[in-house]
Amino acid sequence: MRYMNKIMIIEDDELICNELSKLLENNNYEAIILKDFKNALNEIIKTSPDLILLDINIPFINGEALLQSLRKESNIPVIMVTSINSEIDEALSISYGADDYITKPYNPNILLLRIGAVLKRTKINYNSNIKELTYKELKFDITKGTIRKDNIELKLTKNEIIIFAYLLNHLNKIVTRDELMTALWDNSEYVNENALTVNISRLRNKLKELGYCDAIDTRKKMGYILS
Amino acid sequence: MKFSKYFKDNLYKFLIFIICYGINLLIFFAFKVDKSVIISSSFIYLICFLFILLIPYYKKRNFYTNLLLNTQALDKSYLVLETLTKPEFYERELLYQALYEINKSMNENVSRIEESLQDFKEYIEMWIHEVKIPLATLVLMSNNHKEQFDKKTKLQLKRLEDYVDQVLYYARSENAEKDYLIKETDLSKVIKNVGLKNMDDLLENKIDYIVENVQYKVLTDSKWLEFILEQIVNNSIKYKRNIDNSYIKISVQDEFDKTILKIEDNGIGIKESDLKQVFDKSFTGENGRNTNKSTGMGLFIAKNMCEKLGHKIAIESKENEYTKVYITFAKNKYYDVLK
Repeated sequence: MRYMNKIMIIEDDELICNELSKLLENNNYEAIILKDFKNALNEIIKTSPDLILLDINIPFINGEALLQSLRKESNIPVIMVTSINSEIDEALSISYGADDYITKPYNPNILLLRIGAVLKRTKINYNSNIKELTYKELKFDITKGTIRKDNIELKLTKNEIIIFAYLLNHLNKIVTRDELMTALWDNSEYVNENALTVNISRLRNKLKELGYCDAIDTRKKMGYILS
Repeated sequence: MKFSKYFKDNLYKFLIFIICYGINLLIFFAFKVDKSVIISSSFIYLICFLFILLIPYYKKRNFYTNLLLNTQALDKSYLVLETLTKPEFYERELLYQALYEINKSMNENVSRIEESLQDFKEYIEMWIHEVKIPLATLVLMSNNHKEQFDKKTKLQLKRLEDYVDQVLYYARSENAEKDYLIKETDLSKVIKNVGLKNMDDLLENKIDYIVENVQYKVLTDSKWLEFILEQIVNNSIKYKRNIDNSYIKISVQDEFDKTILKIEDNGIGIKESDLKQVFDKSFTGENGRNTNKSTGMGLFIAKNMCEKLGHKIAIESKENEYTKVYITFAKNKYYDVLK
């Protein structure tokens, strides 16, 4: 069982909390919803989550104030999730010690990518220091962009690296085309539908060369799965 | 102040003088006064009259010419009262008094309206934050329960979000207060965020999002620029042509004293007669009328925001061929030295 990152949701709208935790749980995170806003700080310290999603408008204490007092005690990564879309508020939040700032209504795929990025940056992700990922006997070097099995080494293009890394991070789970698209665009690779299809079939061929036929399976109307 | 008009206003003085002078002459004749006495006293009469007429003229002329010139020279002409020295004549004092009262009442009026405008803006901002909560919930729900929500729901939610944002930025850009923060911003990041936000729309419409060599930094408010760019991209999506290789191409031209962001599409373009008005408020033009999807506000707000941020925005188009939008950012040499 892989280590599941604990993410705390601090947000006063119940429906959003529920949907957020569903989203997080669907993506291999453990979601905890903060209930007691009066003792927010103590609750956080007690739970010691790996990351906090913090709304600015919360009862009893303002999100920014909570962040300031939290920073005196701990370095838990914090992503501000707010409906205030302004450079001034963003700059303030960052200066108070937030690690990222996302405006509602956010694209769920992007939110997940940001969470992943912050966790990676703050070096507490389970594979934070591993530059090399493995798939069965295959070694995947992200920085060099190569896959290797035994003595055969193949070079992947940037798009293939992004796709393979995403699939590998979601091993045995269905990944939608939408998610892959978002991951690519988030890396400034603005590919279209055809290009994605082409990239996936190229990646399949490269995996086949290393002896992994049908590693990436297509699930009709749902997406792809690496297993 | 024209003498002829002034003279016309003071015609009665002249008439009184003529009549008095006539009566005087009659009296002189009746008493058979010597001719030289009549001539010399007539001369004195005339001189006196001229003084009575001209001295107030010159004094008034100074005052009023000053007043008029200052009024024209000021960009806010209602501040003219501040430029007047306190007059020493009764008549002008009254005028000054009246102007003072008028000014005061206007200031009160203006500040009352400003206050209600500010209240309204605050309400709008608050309302937008409120409305974003159910919107965010819906977006999450549409993602978590894909079986109940299809792609169309997502696109409609996106449209809703766009309209809400438009109101927010309209309120912000119309406000006299400074509501932005200018700092060094990565153009590539802004372009990426706009791309991600509109990815579904672009893919759905089979429009390629081509981004070329945009690794430049400019001085702007990234949120505002994102909104501006989104208006342009949205227009490109709305007014695409039915061809196979639709695209939106974004590139940057870096020059010595400025950076130019260019957004180009191969959509239906804009009629030449409409081109001059695309930045006008509520202007929809022929394209807007034909597609019925236009509020005529997007580019107007974008232009307003560019002006506030100190960027230039320009548009070029050929019907049925292309539309090109240029946003020009000035470089700040002083800022470079500081770095």
